[in-house]
This record gives sequence, structure tokens and C-alpha cells, in this order.
Amino acid sequence: MISSMSVTQPDSTGAALKASLQGAREDLRGSIARGAGGRGALEQYADRVDALIRQLFTDAGPYDGPLSIIALGGYGRRHLCLHSDIDLLLLFGNGIGAPEERFVNSFLNPLWDLGVVVGHQVRDIEDFQRLETDNPEFLLALLDARPVAGARSVFERFTTSFHQAGTHAVILKSLLALIDERHAQFNATLYQLEPDVKEAPGALRDLTATRTIALLTDPLLLRRGPADAARFDDAEDFLLRVRSTLHLECGRNQNILSHDLQERTAEILGYPGAEPRQRVERLMSDYFRHARIVTRSLEWARRTAPVPVGPNLGLTRDGARFIDPIQAARNPSSWLAAFQAALDSGTEVSEEALSCIQQHVDRYRADDFFADADDRAALLRFLKPRPGLYARLSQMHDCGLLGRVFPEFQAISWRVVRDFYHKYTVDEHTLLTIRNLERLITTEQGDRMRFRSILLDLLEPELLVLALLFHDVGKWRDDDHALESVRMADHVLERLQISGEQRDTVLFLIRHHLRMSLAAFRRDTEDPDIVKQFASLVGTEERLKLLCLMTLVDVEAVSPGTLTPWKAELLWRLYVDTYNHLTQRYGDELIERNQAGLTELQGNRPDDVTPDEITRFLEGLPQRYLHVFPRDTIYRHIRLARDIKPDEVHLSVEQNGSVWSLAVATLDKPFLFSNISGVLSSFGMNILRGHAFTNPNGLVLDAFEFTDDERFLALNKDGQRQLMCVMQDVVSGRADVTTRLRGREKGILQARSTQRFAPVVHADNKASGRYTILDIVTGNALGLLYRISRVISQHGCDVDLVLIGTEGEKAIDVFHITKAGVKLTEAEQTALTSDLQRTLEGTV
Amino acid sequence: MKLLKSIVRPNKVDEVKDALAKLSISGMTVTEVRGHGKQKGHTAIYRGKEYNVSLLPKMEIEVVVPDSIADEAIKAIVQAARTGEIGDGRVFVLPVAESYRIRTGEMES
Repeated sequence: MISSMSVTQPDSTGAALKASLQGAREDLRGSIARGAGGRGALEQYADRVDALIRQLFTDAGPYDGPLSIIALGGYGRRHLCLHSDIDLLLLFGNGIGAPEERFVNSFLNPLWDLGVVVGHQVRDIEDFQRLETDNPEFLLALLDARPVAGARSVFERFTTSFHQAGTHAVILKSLLALIDERHAQFNATLYQLEPDVKEAPGALRDLTATRTIALLTDPLLLRRGPADAARFDDAEDFLLRVRSTLHLECGRNQNILSHDLQERTAEILGYPGAEPRQRVERLMSDYFRHARIVTRSLEWARRTAPVPVGPNLGLTRDGARFIDPIQAARNPSSWLAAFQAALDSGTEVSEEALSCIQQHVDRYRADDFFADADDRAALLRFLKPRPGLYARLSQMHDCGLLGRVFPEFQAISWRVVRDFYHKYTVDEHTLLTIRNLERLITTEQGDRMRFRSILLDLLEPELLVLALLFHDVGKWRDDDHALESVRMADHVLERLQISGEQRDTVLFLIRHHLRMSLAAFRRDTEDPDIVKQFASLVGTEERLKLLCLMTLVDVEAVSPGTLTPWKAELLWRLYVDTYNHLTQRYGDELIERNQAGLTELQGNRPDDVTPDEITRFLEGLPQRYLHVFPRDTIYRHIRLARDIKPDEVHLSVEQNGSVWSLAVATLDKPFLFSNISGVLSSFGMNILRGHAFTNPNGLVLDAFEFTDDERFLALNKDGQRQLMCVMQDVVSGRADVTTRLRGREKGILQARSTQRFAPVVHADNKASGRYTILDIVTGNALGLLYRISRVISQHGCDVDLVLIGTEGEKAIDVFHITKAGVKLTEAEQTALTSDLQRTLEGTV
Repeated sequence: MKLLKSIVRPNKVDEVKDALAKLSISGMTVTEVRGHGKQKGHTAIYRGKEYNVSLLPKMEIEVVVPDSIADEAIKAIVQAARTGEIGDGRVFVLPVAESYRIRTGEMES
């Protein structure tokens, strides 16, 4: 890009053009001298300069490429004052090279020769792919862009790429900052004795700024402002006439209405009065009157203008609203954005926007609202529990949108089911469950804080909201509603294209939404068999957390008194017992030859996997393995473990979004787990979740999920191969991970020093029949697993099973360990936990 | 008349109710309560941290029965609520001097 401002002396070659420009100037001078240098005269002058520019464009010689000559700023608005700069943008449509530079010179040189001050910018259309946020004045000038010569298509391409909601938001922000900055130079008062009619508060720039705010936010804004359009136009015309007079009198771009110039201006503008003082007073009184109108309009616009928050969306005091309701009516997939914007801003959707939706909602079918993947992702984002979600969903329901988007939900609208417990219609009960969930986020109630911590730890809380939304839709019928709800919710999930594990989880929650309250309130939860059965139903900690919260908020939404502290306590106890069962006792529940899940795996097996292979691989692994891995992953693990030899390590790495999965199959050896986790840490990987399993034949299967926080894999094409090579070398004993990690020690120590959680280390011999269980909760840090497992191995213990979890900055790890094949003695436990405690506290 | 105040496991309420119904005792008051007896609660561990569960959730069932069937009712409650483990609860028996039906104001004996 090229930009400059130049003045050169005229030469004699452009005599005709010069005469034409002089003629235009003389006419303008005449108008100004008659007191008529306002809008009309300036527009005429701008038109004549346009003609001149077009002539210069033609004369500039042949240029075959796409190019548009565009007027900017005041010239773009056709308010070209006598001594104002002529701001031009030379916009090329196909790159800038030598021919373009030649054209620029041959176009601009004659213009300079005419003696005019030209502020010119040269850009290629591609330059507008990146917003020049460091040049706000230029961005503002672009808002007044007007094509004067050249190809209209280039101008139109510019318009399309420049006028985006995001760009408008940036410009608006810059404009407001510039206004404040400018006003500060005038002590933020319009009542100046010698006002600058361009820059002062209430003067021309403020007037333009007011219109710009409307343009950027709501083109109809000023219609509702404190001054009607005619008064606003009068103010503009007055200010322009004054400015023109100043230019005429001073012979330059001078805009300060000084005491000296006030008399002459009053005289030219024809103010009556015997004495000059009287004429001046009348002039200044008019000035302040107009300036006040401008100031009030600007302040009103700043206060009232919707803040752009998305395409055709603005935030006002009334809430989120559509800038152009007609456009919104045609685009139903944009409606959710209004609710999302309101949610993000802690406000509501305006009545005006709700009316617009209500008026047009019946024209659309459920599919119209989620036309593409972005729309569907936006819905899931919207459903993340947070304060305000209930209120927004209620608004959606009230205006008919929720029922249209989800006809399944419409089926329970105002539905009355008479029983002894429920106090509200089924739809309101449903929405109240979501309100209870969002209230949990900010609760300070003692006995709810424990449930809050579960909610904050959920990986996909939006799935819970989705399940809540449809858990009772089956109540439109009078029989078993949970099954009917599942059937209906499945249609919703299909429309939203939610499949796999996510779909299974939502349907699981709906199908079993009454099971936890039944177990907690009606069964003897002190009976280990009841807990075992319930643990087997939920299968994983994540589902347990989801079902626990679902039960809590569902019971609470029945009536104000239904969720008593007594019930909350029973629920919590079942949660803890089941959580402990899932994390601490799973090592005792091994897959057997006639296990239920095996039949399904055998039935669906791919051709390259034999039934015998499946049985051999799974037999003796904890049943938990079948709960946590989907079928395809299990087949992948089977292939990975195939024909493994003592010194071999089989690895597979996969990427799913920002999360990477690593599966390692090998035969058990000392320090194995610490070596694997150490290698990952040595590459800067942040381990999020994982499992380590050992089967009775000594086969070890470790599965990790991690993020590449230092972008090693993203930046190195060969990164995956490097990681796998090092892993092979370290696990098979050809390389030492400690050396690799040494360079990172400092980083690890730093991470340790910033941890905000006092580490918890707890060893238990009662929970499992076969293992000593080591529960560790501490602040997550690079290399944490390596350090923990190294200490365990140094104590001569075998790491048989591991559950790795992270929740925010917390790491929650459960190790199943043995020493020489049996549980640790009390003394061994004490020695190990003390060592671990010291390691985690960073004191060793 | 006797007031039988029974503290039972939450999951035993239905069984106690059914057992009393067999004796044609249908009026009762059921309240969610928390407390401990000899059991004094226990220690639970969640994510490595120990915490005391000192007040355990129980149900309190109150029935007023004629003296003539009080023993039979107590027996029915005990049988229905028993698991044989610690924490099965208690039945307290209190004499009732008089009882009035609020709707009619009449005294019942």
C-alpha cells in the first residue's frame, strides 16, 4: 500500500483543467460571499471536482486492470469546502505492480499540478482482508466512500468486504474513543468563545459522528432522537456556511471562529443589528443553539445506539434487538444469535425482537433454524448452563420459537399432569430444572456447594441441559414418559446431528432420569449391592455426575419444598459411594468369558479381528474398560496389542480437534507408566485424561488424552514421528526420560510453585479386594504424572491400573497399586504417601 | 392410646406403611429427619479427603393407636424396618392423654 499527502506547484500543461477548477472555485466563492456557502453550494462544488477527477482519470492513459477512484471523508459526503483536502482512494482490483504505479503517477501528477491538496491512499482490494485497526481515521473516512471514476465492480467488492458487523464494531469503538479524545481538547464543552467549527464539541465532526453512529448501529436511530431531521440538517447547513466563510476570509483551511472573524462572518451571513457587537451576538447565539442540538443528538445516539454484537444485531437498553427486522424475518437461523447475545451481555432479548420472531415464526420448519453445522454448534454453545439461560429459554418459549425449533417441546406446552407432587405445568417444570442448574453455578448455599463443584467440572454441561430440556417431553402421553421422551429426543438429536457418545449420553440421562432418586430415596444405599448395581448402570464418573445433577435439579423443580436438605444429603451420599465404587473398586470387577458386552463386540467385529483375539485381549481387564471405550477404539486396541513381543512398544496417535489421543500397548516392565507420562511431558504435552490397564498376561494398555500446549505437533511436520520414536526408545530402555526432562525441570518447578491446591494424597486398603488405592488430588502441572508414578515405582510398587483426570487446574488421579503382587502394608502406605506429599508440595 | 414414634431407614417407609395398613392403621405422619443413634455416623472419603457423616438421613413415622393394638403395631414396625444391621432405628412409645378431631371438635378415645 502507498499513502501520502503532497502539494506541488501548478504547471502550465493543465491549463484547461486549471480553468475549470478555478471556475468552480470562483462560483463557490461567490456563493459563500452571499452567505450561501452551505450544503447546496458545497455539493455543487464537489460535483464539479468529480468531473475534474473523471477527466484526469481518462487523461491518465490506458490502464487495463480493474480500478476504482473513490472519494473519502468530507469529499465522499460531497461536503467539499473551499480549502479542504481532496481525499481519494485509488483502489486496484488485481494487485499493485509497476503498471499500477505508473498509472498512479500519471493520474496524480496533473492533480498536484493544479495546486490542490490531495490526501491519497492507494490500496489493493485484498488489503481489506485485514482491517487497519491502527488507522481509525482512515477507517472512518472509508465509511463515506463514494465511487467517482473507474470500475464500479471494484467499489462494490470493497463495499461487500468492508461492511461487516465485526468491522463496524471496531470502527464504532474507535470513533467513540476519538470523540472523547477530541472533546478533551476542548474541555468537553461546546460553549467556546472562539469555537473551532470543525472540531469543537457540537461542531461539524460531532454532527458527522452522530450520523456515523447511526450508520454503524441502526440507520433509523436518529428518527427517534431529540432533534428532528430538519433541525439536524439546519445545524449542518449553518455550520458549513460558517466554515465556508472562514475559508473564504482566511484563504486557507482555517476553521476557528475567532473574535476577529466573528464580525466579518456575521456580516456575510447577513445577521441584522446596528452595531457589529449585536450582529456577532446573534451569530454566536445561533452557533450555540445549533451546536447544542448536535451535542444533544450525539449524546443521545451514544446512549441509545445499539452496540453491534453480530450481523444485524445490536444491544440497547431494551436488550438485544435486530437492527433490520425485515432482514431478520427472512433469516430464522440468525434468531438464536439474538438470544446468545442477550445471554452473553447479561440482558434480555428486546420486546421488539420478540415480536418480530413471534410474527414470523410460523413460516418456518424445525430444520430451517439449523441449516448448517455452524447453526448446530451455536445451539450447543447457547445451551451451556450459565446465569440467564432459563430466562432466555423462557423468552424463546413465550414467543413461540422454542416450540417451533423443537416441536417435541411444544407437545408439553402448558401440559397439566395431575399428581401429588408437581406444582407446575410440564414445560415450566422443565425450564425450572435448567434454572436450578444455572443457579447452582453461583450458589453460596453450604449444602449445594458440593454439587456446584461437580457442575463446574463437567466436560460437556450442554449435554445435561439438552437432556433436561427433553427429559419430560414424553409426558404429552399418559403412560411411561421416560421411554417416550427418549424416542422423541432421538429425533431432536438426529436433526441436530448429534451422534456417537454425545447422543448416547443424552439418551441415557433421559431414559434413566428417575433412577438415581429411586436408588437414593427408596433403596438402602448402605447395601453395597445397591451401590454396585447403580455404578454398573452409570458406568463412568462423567455420567454419574450428569445424572446426579439432573436428579438434583429435577427434584428441586417439582415444587419449592421438594428438595429438602435431607434428600440432598441422600443424593450426595449415593453419589460419593458410587464415585468411589467406580474409581476404586473397578479393579475387582474383571471381564469374564461370558460377559454381556462381549457378545456385542463379537457380533460387530471387523473382518481382520478374530473372536478368539477379542476374548484373549479382554479377558481379565476390568469391566470398566468396556464402559469407557467405544467399540471402534476397542478393535483398534486389539490390533495394537497383536503379536506384541517383550521389547516392543506399539503406539497409535490420533487428533480430534485440539485433543490428541495416544494408545500404547506393551508388556509390563518397571517404571513403564512414569516413562510414558514422562515422554509426553518432555514434549510439553498437557495430559488431560487417561487410563492405564494391565491384564493378567502382563499386557499393558495405556490410553492418554492430551493437548499440545506448546504446539510441538502443530509446528513440526515430523512431530508425531519424533514423539513415537522417543516413546519407543524410552519404553524399551534405549533412552532415559530423566535426561530429556532435565531441561524442563525449571518449567516444572515454576508450574509447581503456582499451584493453588493443597495436594491431597490418600491410601486405602479397604476399597478394593486386590489393590491398594491411592487417591491424589493436586494442582495440575507439567510432568506431574511422571513425578507421582516415579515415586511409586521407586517404592518398589507396581502401577496396575490408573485413572487420570483433570478438572480445570485440578488433577485427580487414582492409582491401583500392589507390591510384589499384594496390597501395601500400613507402614509401606505411610512411607509412600509421605514421600508423595513431599514431592507434590515441592519440598523434595 | 399410644403414640408410636419410629425412626427408620428411608427406604423402609413403604414397608412399614404396608405393615401398619394390614393392621388397619392408615393415619400417620411421615417426616424427613436427620440424626444418629449408637451408630454416630461414619467417615466417608471423597477424592482422598475424609469427611464425617455424623447426621444420617432417616424417616420418622408417627402413628397413634389404641392401647389394644399397640404391641401388635410395634411388632409390625420392627419387623418391617429391620435389616439386622446397625442403623435400623428405634420405636418410641408415648402415652396419649386425649385426642380431638379438628373438623368436628369431638374427642376421640
